[in-house]
Amino acid sequence: MAKLILLWLKCVILYNAVGAVFEDQVGKFDWRQQYVGKVRFSHFDTHVQSSKKVLVATENNVFAALNTRTGELFWRHVDKSGPEGNIDALLHHGQDAILVVGNGRLLRSWDVNVGGLNWEIVLDSGSFQKACLVGQQGTVKNVAVLKKNIISLHYLSNGHQKWIENLPESETVDYQTVYSGGNGEVYALGIVPHSHVVIIAYSTDDGEIIKQISVEAPWLSNIVASCAVIGQGVLICVDSATPSLYMCDLHLDTHDLQMTQIPLQSLGLEVAPDFQPVLVSHQPNSAHQPLSEFFLQLGPDNFLLLQLNNGQIVTLRDFKPALLVSFATTGEKTIAAVMSPKNKTACSINLFSAETGRRLLDTTLIFVMDPNGGKPEKIYIQPFLKKDDSVGYRAMVQTEDHTLTFIQQPGRVMWTREEALSDVVTMEMVDLPLTGTQAELEGEFGKKADGLMSMVFKRLSSQLILLQAWIAHLWKLFYDARKPRSQVKNEVTIENLSRDEFNLQKMMVMVTASGKLFGIDSKTGSILWRHYLEDVPSNAAFKLMVQRTTAHFPHPPQCTLLIKDQDTGLTTLHVFNPIFGKKSHVNPPALPQPILQSFLLPLMDQDYAKVLLLVDDQYKVSAFPSTKNVLQQLQEMASSIFFYLVDSSQGRLSGYRLRTDLSTEQIWEVVIPMEIQRIVSVKGKRPNEHVHSQGRVMGDRSVLYKYLNPNLLAVVTESTDTHQERSFVGIILIDGVTGRIIHEAVQRKARGPVHVVHSENWVVYEYWSTKSRRNEFSVIELYEGMELYNSTVFSSLDRPHAPQVLQQSYIFPSAISTMEATLTEKGITSRHLLIGLPSGGILSLPKMFLDPRRPEIVSEQSREENLIPYAPELMIRTEWFINYNQSISRVRGIHTSPSGLESTCLVVAYGLDIYQTRVYPSKQFDVLKDDYDYMLISSVLLALFFATMISKRLAEVKLLNRAWR
Amino acid sequence: MHLWMLLMFLGWCFTEMEAGPGAAMSTQTNGDRFKIEGRAIVPGVKTQDWVSTARVLVDGEEHVGFLRTDGSFAVNDVPSGSYVVEVVTPTYRFDPVRVDITSKGKMRYARLVNYIKTSEVIRQPYPLQIRSSGPHSYFMKRETWGWTDFLMNPMVMMMVLPLLIIVLLPKVVNTNDPEMRKEMEQSMNMLNPNPELPDVSELMTKLFSGSKGSSKAGSSSKGTRPAAKRR
Repeated sequence: MAKLILLWLKCVILYNAVGAVFEDQVGKFDWRQQYVGKVRFSHFDTHVQSSKKVLVATENNVFAALNTRTGELFWRHVDKSGPEGNIDALLHHGQDAILVVGNGRLLRSWDVNVGGLNWEIVLDSGSFQKACLVGQQGTVKNVAVLKKNIISLHYLSNGHQKWIENLPESETVDYQTVYSGGNGEVYALGIVPHSHVVIIAYSTDDGEIIKQISVEAPWLSNIVASCAVIGQGVLICVDSATPSLYMCDLHLDTHDLQMTQIPLQSLGLEVAPDFQPVLVSHQPNSAHQPLSEFFLQLGPDNFLLLQLNNGQIVTLRDFKPALLVSFATTGEKTIAAVMSPKNKTACSINLFSAETGRRLLDTTLIFVMDPNGGKPEKIYIQPFLKKDDSVGYRAMVQTEDHTLTFIQQPGRVMWTREEALSDVVTMEMVDLPLTGTQAELEGEFGKKADGLMSMVFKRLSSQLILLQAWIAHLWKLFYDARKPRSQVKNEVTIENLSRDEFNLQKMMVMVTASGKLFGIDSKTGSILWRHYLEDVPSNAAFKLMVQRTTAHFPHPPQCTLLIKDQDTGLTTLHVFNPIFGKKSHVNPPALPQPILQSFLLPLMDQDYAKVLLLVDDQYKVSAFPSTKNVLQQLQEMASSIFFYLVDSSQGRLSGYRLRTDLSTEQIWEVVIPMEIQRIVSVKGKRPNEHVHSQGRVMGDRSVLYKYLNPNLLAVVTESTDTHQERSFVGIILIDGVTGRIIHEAVQRKARGPVHVVHSENWVVYEYWSTKSRRNEFSVIELYEGMELYNSTVFSSLDRPHAPQVLQQSYIFPSAISTMEATLTEKGITSRHLLIGLPSGGILSLPKMFLDPRRPEIVSEQSREENLIPYAPELMIRTEWFINYNQSISRVRGIHTSPSGLESTCLVVAYGLDIYQTRVYPSKQFDVLKDDYDYMLISSVLLALFFATMISKRLAEVKLLNRAWR
Repeated sequence: MHLWMLLMFLGWCFTEMEAGPGAAMSTQTNGDRFKIEGRAIVPGVKTQDWVSTARVLVDGEEHVGFLRTDGSFAVNDVPSGSYVVEVVTPTYRFDPVRVDITSKGKMRYARLVNYIKTSEVIRQPYPLQIRSSGPHSYFMKRETWGWTDFLMNPMVMMMVLPLLIIVLLPKVVNTNDPEMRKEMEQSMNMLNPNPELPDVSELMTKLFSGSKGSSKAGSSSKGTRPAAKRR
């Protein structure tokens, strides 16, 4: 053991400096954006007048407090993803926020100021229905939780259960909501659909049933959808069939309670056809009864403010057209906010007094809709009292594309949060275009030569333009230098985007699950364009491909997004310019058949767009673009175009070849028995990957050649038997052209999730060892041997020798979320693995630690080769975290992209957050380091210069003296 | 293909779960789901300052718990098994702890995580007391340049010391004193026992510079300067 530690120390000392961040580099070329996800519940923190917090609970199981001034996070709590962390309800009282989590499994109370947990308790299982705060004598002390068959009351201060009661007849009655008007009673409302409503009143003190009434309501099927409690405890329901309102007083203690019917016609109202009317009520304080005013929505754009006055329904105001309504309370005043469309691009929000329906003066707020965004979905109003006792407000608007916009009167946008970015599915990094002047120069070479003189003039003029640009640049530098530093802001806009000298700044094209596309500047993280695709199915799978890069001026760059409905397999293509986000004028083909496979060919059409091939379920191939030129090229190339299909439901992998008539023929098939194992993932190599060295130089100066098969696929399988003694993880390396199985490895007593990286001549995968209960890494490397069969070109069809396979495994002391390898321009730089950890760190692990040739016994040769002695455990060193303390929640993917510098790899990690940085796996060997000491070198040079001058002079004097002697 | 050379004999199965008394806890059973309790402490830092960024992760993100405002935590709804419990914050480092819950949920104990010897048990108190071992160190130190670094460089030392000797020695030793000169010449002779034997360097210079410089070299070799040089 001591030896091991020694060895480990040795490697640590050896590779101490590999991949680390210096403290002064913080924020220099990296940035992080934190998101919360699509907002489900939101409350403004109102218990202090000056509070700047808005609480949000989201569909990504995140509970956070945002700063209303800036939109930044005060704090954020990320729960388990999936249904177990699902936030069912958010209640807010004073400085406590109560959350019901995991279908009523947990009840949590958070301190809003600190962001710490007050308490958490486990509730009895049962599907959650509704929770509400229960007040008594003007103070709120309890929270009531209603489940399918039980109701319980808990103290707000510590979560302890005050009482719990079984709901009577819970097999037949569907209890849906709970209500408390602050008078010592808690009402549970249940329904037997199309029969009757059950009302049970419990005593707040001991949970005793005070009364139990059932009311006939044969027209009612769902209380939540069509009922509300208003005023002094009046249950009001709306029925679209009759159409009419029904009312009954919950407090009345008669057993023959009836619902009084008020036909909408008698109020002079009419329901829009095929519309289920909705009631919106408001309870400003849980210790008091709700308002007697409520909204009734009669159509998609028609709201009515109604009032219950002495048993009579009075129409206060008719809002038509109106998109959204909301109640809000400040102090004693309750207002109703109504958002109505103004014109095509803008909406206006107005405030109305809830009691009278009168419009409040000077409360108009204009909300300008983003033409590339979605329609407004919800509004949250934060009202406040001005000094003159009039009501002012700010509004937070949530749109369909998950964007939050916070606006102030009269329409100034204080901040926007693009919450769609919390769910990035796929992304690409696209080179920025050349500037106008650069393009001018490029254009000069592209044009046809037309005479010597004109060429000379052209050259002179372009040089003049360059000079002009340079002078302008100098002038700007000079001008900026005089201004204080804080004012100088290099605003990045689409117009002044241009490639930098090392191509370090790129456009990040991000595709989100909601169907919103973003173009983000990789240097600053500012969103340069956004585009919301409206008709994206909710279960869509996306694939983003760059068909034409920016290298082919004047042709615009072109990206194609494949959107596939996973149920039907039907696919649509969205073709756009990745720099500006605009939809391309190129019309993508309509695809009537489900698409099985899609891939980009290295072929280009006459406009330099790479050809995208789509294989449909009839195994017919269509090309995009499908010009004559392309089809001709395809016919010529057809015999060398192969592709593979994976059918994981059948456990079948099959390889196909293209025929000249664009039909296909199957050439191989591998069936993995479904009863034993299932295919989890299939990984090929990245097409833009370069491998610089063909082999590795051994200690004895011979060369071990790498097996660099570009068609190699790594297929990962998991056993269907999940018992910990019998489960296994399998990895099969298959040649995608011939179907030849190159290697097969099985990891016994292991299970997934398996994370794989496949690159160069190696495959690294990570799994969970059920035997030792730890995460393990395994690496497979393939070598041709000491001789290369055909050193000029690799052909899958002509490789008679099977490669040598080396494998080694290691312990990894943490679970991992995702894994990716660094990528550089020419592949000279050594590789690192970027590992996303659940703790939020991104570990940059040198590939040399995962090298199956690490020896157990150090020999002269292995030392010569710089092999690290084998140690079973890989270390996680926080110095290797490329994101230092900027932890990234729920990392789902890491995208690596080469830059113009060979030493530098651009990294984007996305999950709930987005983080962009650069890594230097072999340090910055091709540029001066940013801590390069210019002062030292220049002072040394100067000193040397003067020293020579002086010594020269002295020597002269001495010579002269000697001559005189 | 060699796997687990070392692990083979260390990583024996973990089936014998020591059923000792020691850390018998009060259990709050919930069906077959249990609770992991503990407390995280950062010495010298107020809990309010760090709890809002902290989480308790059980086996990666399998189960998640949050810290109360006093630093204590409870991860609810955990089925029986063996888990690695870790308190995660971006600023402070906490060591992970392994917690075992038997199928009855009655006996649990905590121990230090050891991935290599999985059966080794070093007991930890339960409910867990996880003490931070200081802030995370994320950054490498820049190599700073100082005069001392420069001077202490072996190359520089090698250059400077002989220089000092060459420059200073003739000044310290008074060469005009005839007694001293005699003494030095004697010591020279001691060093070079056979004055007739040609010096190697002289031989070389003779060889390369030819006959012309030979007499000169021979005559000057008796001065004090070459003596210093040889030293």
